[in-house]
Amino acid sequence: MTEPEIKPEVMRISWGPQHPMSGQTRILIDVDGEVVRRIIADIGFTHRGIEKILENRTFIQGIVPIERMVMADTANIALGYVQAVEEALGIEVPERAKWIRSLICEMGRINSHLYAFGLQVECTGYFPAVFLWTTVDREVLLDLFEKLTGARWSYSFFIPGGVRADLPEGFRDEVRRAVEYLRRRFQDYWDAMVENPLFEMRNRGVGVLSREDAIRLGATGPVLRGSGVDMDVRKDEPYAAYGDLDFKVITEREGDCFARLKVRFHEIEQSLNIMEQIADEIPGGPVRTKVPLFPRSKPGVEALSRVETARGELGVHIFTDGGLKPYRVKINSPTLRNMYVFERLAELNRVLVADLPVILYSIDPWYLDCDR
Amino acid sequence: MAERLTAPIYGVLDYLLTWARKFSIWPVHFVTGCCSPEFMQVSGSRFDMERLGVLPFASVRQCDCLMVVGVISRKMGERVKYLYEQMGEPKFVVSVGACPTGRGPFYDSYATVAIDDLVPVDVYIPGCPPRPEAIIHGLMLLQEKIRRECGFRAGKE
Amino acid sequence: MQARSEEELVEELKREHPELLHDAIVHRSKRVSVIAKRERVLELARILRDQYGFTQPVSAGAVDYIKEGRMQMIYYLMNPETRFMLMLRVDLPRDDPRMPSMTEIWEAMNFHEREAWEMFGINFEGHPNLTHLLLPPDWRGGYPLRKDFRGEGITP
Repeated sequence: MTEPEIKPEVMRISWGPQHPMSGQTRILIDVDGEVVRRIIADIGFTHRGIEKILENRTFIQGIVPIERMVMADTANIALGYVQAVEEALGIEVPERAKWIRSLICEMGRINSHLYAFGLQVECTGYFPAVFLWTTVDREVLLDLFEKLTGARWSYSFFIPGGVRADLPEGFRDEVRRAVEYLRRRFQDYWDAMVENPLFEMRNRGVGVLSREDAIRLGATGPVLRGSGVDMDVRKDEPYAAYGDLDFKVITEREGDCFARLKVRFHEIEQSLNIMEQIADEIPGGPVRTKVPLFPRSKPGVEALSRVETARGELGVHIFTDGGLKPYRVKINSPTLRNMYVFERLAELNRVLVADLPVILYSIDPWYLDCDR
Repeated sequence: MAERLTAPIYGVLDYLLTWARKFSIWPVHFVTGCCSPEFMQVSGSRFDMERLGVLPFASVRQCDCLMVVGVISRKMGERVKYLYEQMGEPKFVVSVGACPTGRGPFYDSYATVAIDDLVPVDVYIPGCPPRPEAIIHGLMLLQEKIRRECGFRAGKE
Repeated sequence: MQARSEEELVEELKREHPELLHDAIVHRSKRVSVIAKRERVLELARILRDQYGFTQPVSAGAVDYIKEGRMQMIYYLMNPETRFMLMLRVDLPRDDPRMPSMTEIWEAMNFHEREAWEMFGINFEGHPNLTHLLLPPDWRGGYPLRKDFRGEGITP
């Protein structure tokens, strides 16, 4: 991008792609002493051209590139694409497959939220201890994924028509054991972070986003729910098995970094409840309807599928032209919406340089998802 | 005669020098793509890479390894080159994952490059993402390379 | 505004503002599309935001229909009260793709319009900062997501 002009009274700092706490992006900060006057997000460092690639892959081959959009929670992203393909080609999915899909999606959501608040705590004081605790807890979930699918992160488990394989013997007991373990650890995290006055001091009142601003600027996910708006695609347009499951949409009122952290915490709790419900009540039946390996679409069909990933709402809009490959795939990424909110936060609040990493990680960006 | 006296001394010094170098490979904090969570799991408690002396460090001037973890786009490729030029000798480049090696699943994209075109690479670790054991194996291969090539008498100094 | 169903919303738009739009369709529950006329799209957008409550911007993107000689720009909007999603579509001729920018109505469309400009070449008149977002600043190639992009101008 061509950078805007620098005014004479500010200093421009380039918080660049090689920095322990910036992630894969460059953020230009105009500072006046300690106060941040303007934030400019220079994204695009991880642009891979996924939308163009998907026009050159058949419908089932397309799962591989699109999964790699957010590695921490590939389940939800893959589900968005697979549901759009099913709607475009008119494929039905059996009940048991929908419940298995919800189970994997919730495990992905917990995985991603652990990553997110591990990083938020790490940048609050550079204490990587809590981040390392979260790596241990993610191993529990990654072991479950490996038992089920064979891969740890990018398992390509959802295909149009259902899921690839049924749950192995004893998997439901393992899920219950993992839920119990994570619930105990959850108490540790709560004590270390939410009950911690130092952590609260760094996070309360920082990066406040009011309800009207959150809607007007297009925030999504925990950023939106932390400001009091209870929008969650799992309740607004239920997909997979979420229509039959019992869970709450978590909102907090204050709209600061602490509120967003609490939203993520409580969402992990809700996800653990959902995992338990699924392990107890999953229906029997087939897990896959037979679909040809190279399905052909009808011309002129459009299908938009919205899912709730850990970061917010993802939309996958597929346009077909009667061939074996989609004509156009438009991806509505959650992080691109939240990065615009991040840029405007310097104007809505008094942001100090020291608060900047905390705010950035409370928005939980994953740059591969905003650059696609 | 002098050769017979100094050869064992150089042998011991070589061993000590390469032992010190190979057990303190400090990569730069530079995760570029989707292999990054796997890299963080490697630095976690189960597959601890710090027991091999690998400590991700923030300042480029004090590091000796550039681990390119994940897909490189054109914008990022320039920064890879700058970072490589800023590191001090001896320096190594490890390409983690299928994407920097040969563009991975994005092989036909207009926006990705393989880092072979930008910097010389010492070790390639394939996988998408590579398992933590594979990353540690790659680091051990780098350690063997250091043992062979980074002594007093070897070429790379 | 009172609660309307999707059909009632579509009928009301076609009845009250026929000169601003070509058509309005219901796709399925909670999904509505409006195809606007290029010259009057700003007025229609303002009415959608102020009278019908579509205040939350979601995203925006374009599709290149090369065989029909047009590009269609789609704005995805959301109503936080009724949870309807509205797709505001504008057809642009392929040899003159320009349209007024929606940033004065939904400012969060800023990033999405920049991306549509750099990927398709659509010129948004009135956009505050139409520069590269995802591609490198010295990109001299064509417009990548157009159907006739052959990878020209890519520098290694």
